[in-house]
Amino acid sequence: MQYHHSCKNPLYPTSLCSFVAMHTMVEVLMVGCTQAEGERLAHEVQQRVWDMERRFNRFDITSPLSVVNTKAAAEAVSVDDELYMALEVCEVFRRGTKGYFSVAPTSVVGLAPYLLNASQHTVQLCSGDVQIDMGGFAKGFAAEQIKTLLIEAGIGRGVVNFGNSSIAAIGCHPYGEWWGVGVENPLCKGIQACEVRLCNSAMSLSGRTPNGEYHIINPHTGVKVAQDELILVEGRSALVAEVLSTALYAAPKLERGAILSQFAGYEATEIYCTADGVKSRKIE
Amino acid sequence: MNRKEFLSDCGKMGLAGVTLSLFPWLESCSPKAKLAVQGEKVRIGIIGTGSRGLFHIKHLVQMPQAEVVALCDNYRPHLDNAAQYYPEAKLYDDYRRLLENRDVQGVIIATPLYLHAPMTLAAMEAGKEVFCEKSMAYTLDEALEVYNRRKALGRVLFIGQQRLFDPKYVKAMQMIHEGVIGEVVGVRNYWYRNNNWRREVPSPELERHINWRLYSEYSRGLMTELACHQLQNGSWAMGQLPEKVMGAGSLIHWNKEDKRDVYDTVSAIFTYPNGVNMTFESIISNKHFGMGEQILGTKGTIDLVTAMHYTDEPAPKGSGMHQFIEQIERGVMSNSVFAGTSWAAESSALAPGKPIMQDVKVVSGESSVGAEADGSKELLEAFLHAVITGKQPEKVLEESYYATQFALLADKAMHENAILTLDEKYKVPYEPLK
Repeated sequence: MQYHHSCKNPLYPTSLCSFVAMHTMVEVLMVGCTQAEGERLAHEVQQRVWDMERRFNRFDITSPLSVVNTKAAAEAVSVDDELYMALEVCEVFRRGTKGYFSVAPTSVVGLAPYLLNASQHTVQLCSGDVQIDMGGFAKGFAAEQIKTLLIEAGIGRGVVNFGNSSIAAIGCHPYGEWWGVGVENPLCKGIQACEVRLCNSAMSLSGRTPNGEYHIINPHTGVKVAQDELILVEGRSALVAEVLSTALYAAPKLERGAILSQFAGYEATEIYCTADGVKSRKIE
Repeated sequence: MNRKEFLSDCGKMGLAGVTLSLFPWLESCSPKAKLAVQGEKVRIGIIGTGSRGLFHIKHLVQMPQAEVVALCDNYRPHLDNAAQYYPEAKLYDDYRRLLENRDVQGVIIATPLYLHAPMTLAAMEAGKEVFCEKSMAYTLDEALEVYNRRKALGRVLFIGQQRLFDPKYVKAMQMIHEGVIGEVVGVRNYWYRNNNWRREVPSPELERHINWRLYSEYSRGLMTELACHQLQNGSWAMGQLPEKVMGAGSLIHWNKEDKRDVYDTVSAIFTYPNGVNMTFESIISNKHFGMGEQILGTKGTIDLVTAMHYTDEPAPKGSGMHQFIEQIERGVMSNSVFAGTSWAAESSALAPGKPIMQDVKVVSGESSVGAEADGSKELLEAFLHAVITGKQPEKVLEESYYATQFALLADKAMHENAILTLDEKYKVPYEPLK
């Protein structure tokens, strides 16, 4: 982990930690804490994220998720509270997004990939083809968890950045009423496509990878979505924003408004970038 | 950035003394040294006025300290071409006659490889200072003879290894010696082209005369014509000489259209006493990767051709968060542009790298004649300076000598299908450039 503390402005000392987790770079900016307190929190954040990563890592054969993927097609598998809750929330999101968000997008086209039994706390996969991948959920979930951890530790201003695509703000910039986050035009490095103002809110972006590859799968077809626009979602929760941006990107344009309307307090924008400029459209 | 600007910048940064003490052969190019010989002229004779000879002539016409008084070539069209630049120069078709010209102080030899040693020896015996194109000689024995004879006669002898005078190489080696890329663990050289390496022949009987590079009777092919330039990278970077050499060469493509007998694809490995390998590879029927020279260290890589430095552990980007911190430190607020679809891991292969100096001119290696800003002009200037002062710069000749010896040894290893070491009798005193 890299940790940097600055007290050049004694009114607002800042601490920044960064580390790699969940295949991305995690950065946490904390304002107003001492160097020692910032460092302690940074380590706590890192540990929390790594714990989540281990729990949700389908490639780690010892992880609870891996046990589900290998055994739950044949029989119901008992899981711990956190994984059960996560799978429950994912199913709610799947239904709420008309099936365009799914943690098993390639497995069972358009259908519920697993069944949950609340009384037994078990999960059963609907077929042997189902493989659960929490990648589309875990980053937003972790960002929310970190935000809560920091607020409980007394941090009133800060930013949690999960790989530049999922960003949660605590409070606002010490010298403004929001944190101003510029969305980079993917075709013009360093050039801003639009600005998002975050204050006790979060944002998420979905689209092609920085290398230009299509990587989001439409759960209804099982194939990668070949759309060139970015989908920006802003709202209170980093988790909901993350789920929504993925679902809206995967959904046909005509269905996006209806999906968004299920999530009160969230705004979404289609951003079309070219080397010459940017066009955007609010999803309604 | 040209050499003058480079040295000027070094001066401004207080580095001039440091740089010159690290690389003493550059001293002749310093403003002070140039001032000392201002107004002096060197009377030059050029032996071999083909493409490379003409390349030098085009530089010489820009140098007030050079006065070309004699030109020699046994191929009349080349001689006539050169004479257009120096109409007053005496013309010769036999280099021995040129060497008899007492007006000539120094000669520039740009002839086929097999003539390098005999012409250099004859010129030195005739009392001339010599600049000879690389490689130094056609055989290991000839190279040794040239080296020893120069020492005995006390002449100035330069070999056309221009990288030693190329500012981007000088800067890169300085960084390597300072440990910027950590311990050197590998040296990669390659040179790819996709052309038949032929020159136009007006009449069939001139084939071997003009296309001498393609015939082993006159040339050692890719090793002496290309590799020789790059083989000094390893010794310059590490301060030691290879211990053993192995290689493989084949004629796989261009022999379908002519009767050449030098390899058109070669791969060689040079192993240093510390176990580090330097590789050289050349294929002239595919040019995708062009020319490359890379010094690989435990902390990073320096690409000598593009003058770029790549670290093995790129710092996390984090620029967005750092911008927020800078704003807070200054008590201002602004937005920070960093959001995107996802973070891409900056593996060392993807990291963009940083230029080691400004305004670098990258040489593609496609030209068979030479390229601007590759150190050739500075090398020539240094030769003229040495002729004026009569002072052979330190270490340069040994570097050229070993580049030739190891190019020849690798060629021999390929033909003998053997792992070879340089025989003790060919070893001359070597002082590392580091």
